[in-house]
Amino acid sequence: MEDLAAQIVSKAQKLGCQDAVADVIQNRSYQIRFGRNEPVISNRWREAYASVFLVHDKRVVATDIKDLSDIGGSLERLVKIAKASQRNPEYAGLAKGNFKYERFRPDPKVLSLDNGSEFVEAAVHGALDQGAKECAGSFWRYEDEHFLATSNGMEGHDHRAGLYLSIRAMVSLESSGHGIACASRLSQFDPEKAGRKAGRIATLAKDPKGGKAGRYDVVFDPLIFGTLTDQVAGRLSAYSVLAGFSPFGKRIGKRVASAAVTMWDDGSQESLARKKFDMEGVPTKRTALIQKGILKTYLHNTSTAKRYKTRTTGNAGLISPDPHAVFVKPGDWSKDEVFSEVKDGLWLTNTWYTRYQSYVKGDLSTIPRDGIFHIRKGEVVETWKDIRLTDNLVRLMQNVVALSDTTEQMMWWGEVSIPNFVPYALIKDVNITRSAE
Amino acid sequence: MDGERDLVDYAVDYARQRGATYAEARFERQEPEQFILKNGTLDALYVGADRGIGVRVLAKSGLGFAATNSLTKAEVKAIVDDAVRIAKVTKRSTPITFASEDPITTNWSVPEVTKLADVPVEEKIQTFQAIDKSVADLGFKIPARYFQLSCNRIAKYFANSEGSKIASYSPRLRTSFFLTVVNGADAEQSHREYGWSGGWEGIRELKVMDRVLDEAKSMQRSLLEGKKSPEGKMDLIVGPQVSGIAAHESCGHPTEADRVLGREASQAGKSFIGPDGLGMKVGSEVVNVCDDPTVEHAIAFYMTDDEGVRARRRYLYKEGRVNEFLQNRETASAFNTHSNGASRAVNYNVEAIVRMANTFVEPKDHSLEEMLQDVKFGVYMKSFMEWNIDDKRYNAKYAGREAYLIENGELKHPVRRTVIELTTPTFWSAVDAVGKDLEFEAGFCGKSDPSQALDASLGGPTMRLRNVYLR
Repeated sequence: MEDLAAQIVSKAQKLGCQDAVADVIQNRSYQIRFGRNEPVISNRWREAYASVFLVHDKRVVATDIKDLSDIGGSLERLVKIAKASQRNPEYAGLAKGNFKYERFRPDPKVLSLDNGSEFVEAAVHGALDQGAKECAGSFWRYEDEHFLATSNGMEGHDHRAGLYLSIRAMVSLESSGHGIACASRLSQFDPEKAGRKAGRIATLAKDPKGGKAGRYDVVFDPLIFGTLTDQVAGRLSAYSVLAGFSPFGKRIGKRVASAAVTMWDDGSQESLARKKFDMEGVPTKRTALIQKGILKTYLHNTSTAKRYKTRTTGNAGLISPDPHAVFVKPGDWSKDEVFSEVKDGLWLTNTWYTRYQSYVKGDLSTIPRDGIFHIRKGEVVETWKDIRLTDNLVRLMQNVVALSDTTEQMMWWGEVSIPNFVPYALIKDVNITRSAE
Repeated sequence: MDGERDLVDYAVDYARQRGATYAEARFERQEPEQFILKNGTLDALYVGADRGIGVRVLAKSGLGFAATNSLTKAEVKAIVDDAVRIAKVTKRSTPITFASEDPITTNWSVPEVTKLADVPVEEKIQTFQAIDKSVADLGFKIPARYFQLSCNRIAKYFANSEGSKIASYSPRLRTSFFLTVVNGADAEQSHREYGWSGGWEGIRELKVMDRVLDEAKSMQRSLLEGKKSPEGKMDLIVGPQVSGIAAHESCGHPTEADRVLGREASQAGKSFIGPDGLGMKVGSEVVNVCDDPTVEHAIAFYMTDDEGVRARRRYLYKEGRVNEFLQNRETASAFNTHSNGASRAVNYNVEAIVRMANTFVEPKDHSLEEMLQDVKFGVYMKSFMEWNIDDKRYNAKYAGREAYLIENGELKHPVRRTVIELTTPTFWSAVDAVGKDLEFEAGFCGKSDPSQALDASLGGPTMRLRNVYLR
């Protein structure tokens, strides 16, 4: 595997390609899904394939080669297709440079982990211990190894691994809570804590009544604040901006969030998405996205960077630039102070199904799930259900008034697509709607 | 595919030798060809050649699945060993069981008049460049024009330890567009998606050019002539696109048996319909909602599912009541019934779970004109942009893209951003007339972990709802 990426690039060049990238990936991940407090299936993968990006006379073509025994044939077919394709005048080449990569290795204890049953049991036990009756979720041991080569001479090896557990605890259909555990090191993995949090929220959320539409000051738990920051980061890909999928077009240097908000993308820091390099072989690094509320940059690969007359941010994917992991600078409020600041408002713990009426304006709605609490002076006075958050992404970020002083790594199915390190957040004047009878 | 069939058959036999009480193996070869045309420029063309084998076994009390893309006997042996071992170490109070089903030996394929593989990529690109040019030539201000074409050819071979051996071939075509039309600081955005099981003739059959131009014109009209949508209780007529999304979200999902049982609770959620919910009233008597994998040329067409069970039409809601759940063999066993062939996987490397296929409101006999006649004041919401629904599938929202005011039975000016935010029973109970103009759109249905975004059709005719609250 070590030499395969370079062989692919060399072969592509011999076939006339000016630019080529090969990322040979070995996936050895393992998963246990559980439902109704018990495992429902265990999954294991043994996959090895090559993600390949070729450019022939400005004609760009990409593929995943699954049949590694016929690399030559696959490349010949691909180049033939590229020749029949059309030039992309916006393509501006691959990154060049004398890049050096950080040295880090995954935790050997994570790599040698062969059975995650005890983590599932610990999480379920934690939730049931708090009063939950039914739990579902998944445990993951991620492991993939990347061997990257580019036609600009970049070669790199990156072995990535981590542990993840997501648990939803339920007391009844409408009384539930969610917990997340993420760690790159076995010693830092605490699924029972995630279970306890899910169980505690579920128990607190007993007997909900229908919520009331209106404008509220809202405390966002890290999981749901992570949904917002994940949306922001995704919409800051230059590709999203160019395609009309972003409210951040023409807003570089403008205020897009309150002064309390500073966030950055960083694939080089420890997270479940830690990686040494992007798909062009550019070392990952910290990239300031929003500094005290001011938009600093979009996320770029070499081609989008040229279009915006700037430099790549090291976020190249196979086709478009994408965020690696999002970090929000913690505030100087304690968690209790954030809650106490709310005289009469809501505490939301999770959400899903975030959709836009207008991407360019940022008009969206999303549906809170799991614990929804009406709070006064930081104390829960009622549990609600059946509400919808209907607002605007930029407006929400501009209305952030307080962030707690610690962050947690959040990642969750669909809504928080990459690791987001987020605190508790207080956002004022959030629009809440609900179904009419 | 003989070599792959041998490996699949070997995997099933070897799993039984290793102690699996049930074993199945599925080979899939997918050959996707996709491109994006962004503002007239071809972005990267993606051409895949994906294939591999997945093995699923019942052993002791557990269910194990393992997959590889290395098609050697040694590697297939290794994944069988993996699947059996992880199933055996599973600790459960009750073993997972599958409902019994008759074994099937068959070979089916979808007719492909003009083979997708025979149409040069240049011709495919040029087809969409012509559409893009036609839109640009309208003279509207359209700063973002985004077209996507995805062709896929899916060949499968499935075998299980009960004697099923099934080969299949499904060519599929999917096209979507996303337009942004602006007028000063105002903007209207639209995303539409269409799918076809079959060959390149689907582009003609789907009338993509006409649909794109009609959409751009209606967006421009909304921008120039659109007024605020009225608020309050009134009559509502929804077009096929809205009926289709409601069929999928507010009927198909809540009747998925695995969701009802809690297997998906942590991700896609549960259902407002409980395990004893068959017969529960959720709508008026004119409401029939079906899921049918055998609708010809619909993008989720299949004749046997990924557990080797024959496909058939399922009446999920019948005469306004919950009539049937979507079942696979695992959920059917829990309900002491049989699978109705609703088990699908997005590829070889993930387990098959309960999925919708082509879900639609069954058409009846009304025309749009007949439905309009009886409406004194209301809104005709032809299509939507934003939508979502809670994880128990009870509170849905559909925000209008193309909509018009209705006064005294006549369509008036466009109205913008009409919002339907209703509970599932409120929505379906308000339906008093169902049209005959059944149409389908395509969607990706998301479920499971790892997430499986699967081809689905969303369909329906025009429907009339009486006295519902709109914003």
